[in-house]
Amino acid sequence: MKFTTNWLKEYVDTKDLTPEALAEHLTMLGLEVDAVTPLFPGLSSIRTAKVLSVKTHPNADKLQLCEVAVGTETFSIVCGAPNVRKDLVTAIALVGTVMPDGMKIKASKVRGVKSFGMLCSEQELGLSDTHDGIMELPAETPHGQPILTALGLDDLLVEVDLTPNRPDCASVIGIAREVSGITRTPLTLPVESATLIHSSQDFSVDIEDSQACPRYAARLIRNVIIKQSPWWIRKKLLSIGMRPINNVVDITNLVMMEYGQPLHAFDYDTIVGRQILIRHPKNNETELTTLDGEKRIMDRDTLMICDAEKPIAIAGVMGGLNSEVTQTTTNILLESACFNAISVRRTARRLKIPSEASYRFERGVDPGGCITAMERAVSLLCEVANGEATEGGIDLYPGIRPLNSQTLRISRTSSLLGIELSYEKIADVLQSIGIRCKRKDDDTIWINPPSYRIDIEREADLVEEVARLIGYNSIPTSLPTVSLSYPDQEPKRSLRKQIANLLVDIGFSEAINYSFVTPKHVSMMALKNEDYRSTQVTLINPLSEEQSVLRTMLIPGLLENLKRNINFQNSSVKLFEIGKVFTPRGHNEQPVESERLTCILSGQRRGNSSPLYTGDEKVDIFDAKGIAEILLETLRVYGCGSSDTVTFQTPELTEQETYGCSPETLIISSPNGILGQLSKLAPEVAKEFGIKQEVFFIDLDFELLCRTHATSKRFHKLPVFPAVKRDIALLVPITVKAGDMLEAIHNSGEKFIEQCEVFDVYQGKPLEEGMKSIAVSVTYRSPTKTLTEKNVTKSHIKIINTLTSTFNGRLREG
Amino acid sequence: MEQKLNTLQTEAHTQLSTVENNAQLEDFRIRFLGRKGLCSTVMKELGSVSDKERPRLGQMANRVKNEIEALYDEKRQALLSGLNGSSIQEDTIDLSLPGRKPEKGRLHPVTQIMNEVCSIFENLGFAVAEGPDVEHDHYNFEALNIPAHHPARDMHDTFYISDSILLRTHTSPMQARIMEARQPPLRVIAPGKVYRCDSDITHTPMFHQVEGFLVDKNISFADLKGVLTVFTEKMFDQKLELRFRPSFFPFTEPSAEVDIACVICEGKGCRVCKRTGWLEILGSGMIDPEVFKKVGYDPEIYSGFAFGLGIERIAMLKYGIDDIRLYYENDLRFLSQF
Repeated sequence: MKFTTNWLKEYVDTKDLTPEALAEHLTMLGLEVDAVTPLFPGLSSIRTAKVLSVKTHPNADKLQLCEVAVGTETFSIVCGAPNVRKDLVTAIALVGTVMPDGMKIKASKVRGVKSFGMLCSEQELGLSDTHDGIMELPAETPHGQPILTALGLDDLLVEVDLTPNRPDCASVIGIAREVSGITRTPLTLPVESATLIHSSQDFSVDIEDSQACPRYAARLIRNVIIKQSPWWIRKKLLSIGMRPINNVVDITNLVMMEYGQPLHAFDYDTIVGRQILIRHPKNNETELTTLDGEKRIMDRDTLMICDAEKPIAIAGVMGGLNSEVTQTTTNILLESACFNAISVRRTARRLKIPSEASYRFERGVDPGGCITAMERAVSLLCEVANGEATEGGIDLYPGIRPLNSQTLRISRTSSLLGIELSYEKIADVLQSIGIRCKRKDDDTIWINPPSYRIDIEREADLVEEVARLIGYNSIPTSLPTVSLSYPDQEPKRSLRKQIANLLVDIGFSEAINYSFVTPKHVSMMALKNEDYRSTQVTLINPLSEEQSVLRTMLIPGLLENLKRNINFQNSSVKLFEIGKVFTPRGHNEQPVESERLTCILSGQRRGNSSPLYTGDEKVDIFDAKGIAEILLETLRVYGCGSSDTVTFQTPELTEQETYGCSPETLIISSPNGILGQLSKLAPEVAKEFGIKQEVFFIDLDFELLCRTHATSKRFHKLPVFPAVKRDIALLVPITVKAGDMLEAIHNSGEKFIEQCEVFDVYQGKPLEEGMKSIAVSVTYRSPTKTLTEKNVTKSHIKIINTLTSTFNGRLREG
Repeated sequence: MEQKLNTLQTEAHTQLSTVENNAQLEDFRIRFLGRKGLCSTVMKELGSVSDKERPRLGQMANRVKNEIEALYDEKRQALLSGLNGSSIQEDTIDLSLPGRKPEKGRLHPVTQIMNEVCSIFENLGFAVAEGPDVEHDHYNFEALNIPAHHPARDMHDTFYISDSILLRTHTSPMQARIMEARQPPLRVIAPGKVYRCDSDITHTPMFHQVEGFLVDKNISFADLKGVLTVFTEKMFDQKLELRFRPSFFPFTEPSAEVDIACVICEGKGCRVCKRTGWLEILGSGMIDPEVFKKVGYDPEIYSGFAFGLGIERIAMLKYGIDDIRLYYENDLRFLSQF
């Protein structure tokens, strides 16, 4: 909602309120002022000028040489306007002025004659479309004045961001009512209230759907002369950004801005049968060309204004071209009606015509205000457009409602707001904005809100009124008194935090990606059709194809992040995301939402450390495995000894992901199912994302992880006796897995084995082809004694024998 | 032998006083304390003294040796700490070289702020609940007193999955879900992702909100002001000027927006606060009786307040981020700043 401070002052005395204070007051009343700005700031350096003399340009027939006075100075100006003449007062842009279109005025030579500025047309000043000649100001206008002063545009534009509950303030008078509550001064309205004498001699009105049209009033005005509006009307419209059209249309717009009541003027002589019917379209009525020249498709739901034969307007939204007021119009049928908010809203949405009228109807127009606004417009039509109002008119009001009567409890208001209030205080603030109050009993007040406050329907609405009128900031601050209780904890949340912190501590940064992605991810990840992740939830109204389906996996988003980082010359990337993926269920059903935990790693291993200390080694599958291990160990689902529930396994053929590299994949299983996997990304998939370097990922089912049993912490006594370490280097065929060897040692049954670990793996010369060396170190310890050489050697030999026979190997010499 | 020990001690003192660097100190160590040094040599003579003299001389020899060792250690420490002459490290170790940093990543700034916001309310005794991103129209709108064709729906540019299934436009559906399932007293916050079809420098189609509400007997607007004042003070670490401004939400009445004095210009007026000196940081209000009625609470018995805030906005204000789109590009140059 826009208005100017001078316009506002026509209806209410703002006393000594500065524009800033006014804005502050309105904002604190819930009418948030977005901006207070001078009107037409681009015209601030344009001045008025009086033409002193006009001579023909020596070298051009159509140009004139003018001497113009601007205050105490005189300038020579070359002008080509047909209307330039001696004594004309007009607008001048002197040298140095920047025009609203950005053009800078310079001193120039026009066909050999110097010119020191430009006389301006209304169009050049952005004030109208008229470019027939330079602006003509009243002869008595002093020259040398700023044009804004001369035009009465020395004013401030105020923009209010209206909340949907205050349609009454979508009008300058509505704002003035609030201001009168601030300054406690009465309103001065052009028309206070009016009634209409019923007369049906010139036309008839019928409402078929009174639900959709609670009130419809109309009057006939004869013999109007269509022309440009006087400046005072155009000025108001221009100052709030509305384009003046002609006097009749401008008056309907002006009154709408004043009273908040949308009006429409029909050319009376185009109305067939002199009948107005408010109805839904018939089957054969499918189109109407509206005022803006667009063909609009109507449906059964659209409420239309029709004459005896056909639709002539879309109710509350826009008039039809067939009944438009044109230059030749002489008789006008003026409509002032109230249409149902939902009906108008549905139509305006469907047709995508947001108009000033529909804006107001959608939020709710006061049906009680139709006649007052209409009478204001009628008087203006007579005054400004030479119209003759015929006696009386038609006012159908099927939706008339009883007087809005409410009760408000003083105790309830006080306890809800947390401030002690009296009858006097409540009545004082409510009455300041025209809400009538009467004491019913000690605690209860009878309240009659005015008809334009259609938002006040309940006691709660009145409590809000009281709160905003006494000022939120005058309500004290307290802390609630509540009984102590231990808040419920969301277990997923703490696990999420624990994992995120761990990953951050080992070099991963957290990514957050959009939940919606491109459907192309399915093919980019080479998912098979039968893969459940190929079926995505689709948005009906996405912003773009790129964000049109809900994600079924996190890896693609992270790969896009990786690509972005590579593009910005950062190719060492470790990112993780914990987020939801979505699996569709039936139509009109919420999809399954489940969380995943995905890490990607790529590029150099060293991270933050200076290259001084580390080589430029790249991450590999063992980094991924190590990270998965430490993560699962921290969660105590892995690496806790015999009670481990989670294991790493090489995948079965059926478990192999299409986007992973089969030799470099491990499946992570839990008793409840597959927890996820870690793998090297298939290079073809990386290529789909524009990534040339190796990428590794760990992708876990976070929901399953939450359900995986963690081993509880349990103290083990520290060993008292020393350990003995023995190494074994074994030559075995290259197909032998070190993990199997360690398992064989553990399972050998030798009782003093405390730990065994691989400390070297070697393959290549001088070893023979097809063989590799695996070196294992075994730690022996007894809880009850110091082991002797004999104890250890006995076990150790047994183990060597087991290993050589099981794995077809032999001890490596030297 | 006694004489020799005394000489040894004096000599050690003399030589050590001339020691100025590590090399000289090492020479000293070898000469006096080495395996074949003077101390060892004197000690060996103990074997040839009489049995009667041996304990006394042995003790004496040990004392002298310990003393020399102590002198040596003292000198070594002095050299190390640079108290005596030129510092050795300066010659040999360059501590201007960077440290060997263990690798460390960062939590996303949204997560950091989210954690901060949640912990303030958790410390006030609020429980944390999470709900679905994809919601029923019912919970997102109807249950919150926003019927179809209500103009308030304009404030929510909604992504739809089907006629009645949508991406939640705020975390407020959790109000309805929790109230429906449980009885007061309730103190709950609900953090999560929300979605609106809007995308420009200040809007992303996905962002994060925290919804919170408190329902009990005798809860007032003054309580709402109190709790949110505590929150704002903790969140912005300072006594910021705060104002509660009337606004409109269909599910609260009265409704209030909470503004803080602009943290960028300190209330003087700048681009970020649109020259008003104030920054809107959260929406709030007393829960509308209609919302209570829909979940079967008697609004004559219970009252409560609700609030909602945008995490990205708070992060922008706290960290001075000026382009919201950066949040979801996951550029490490961005992430590593927080």
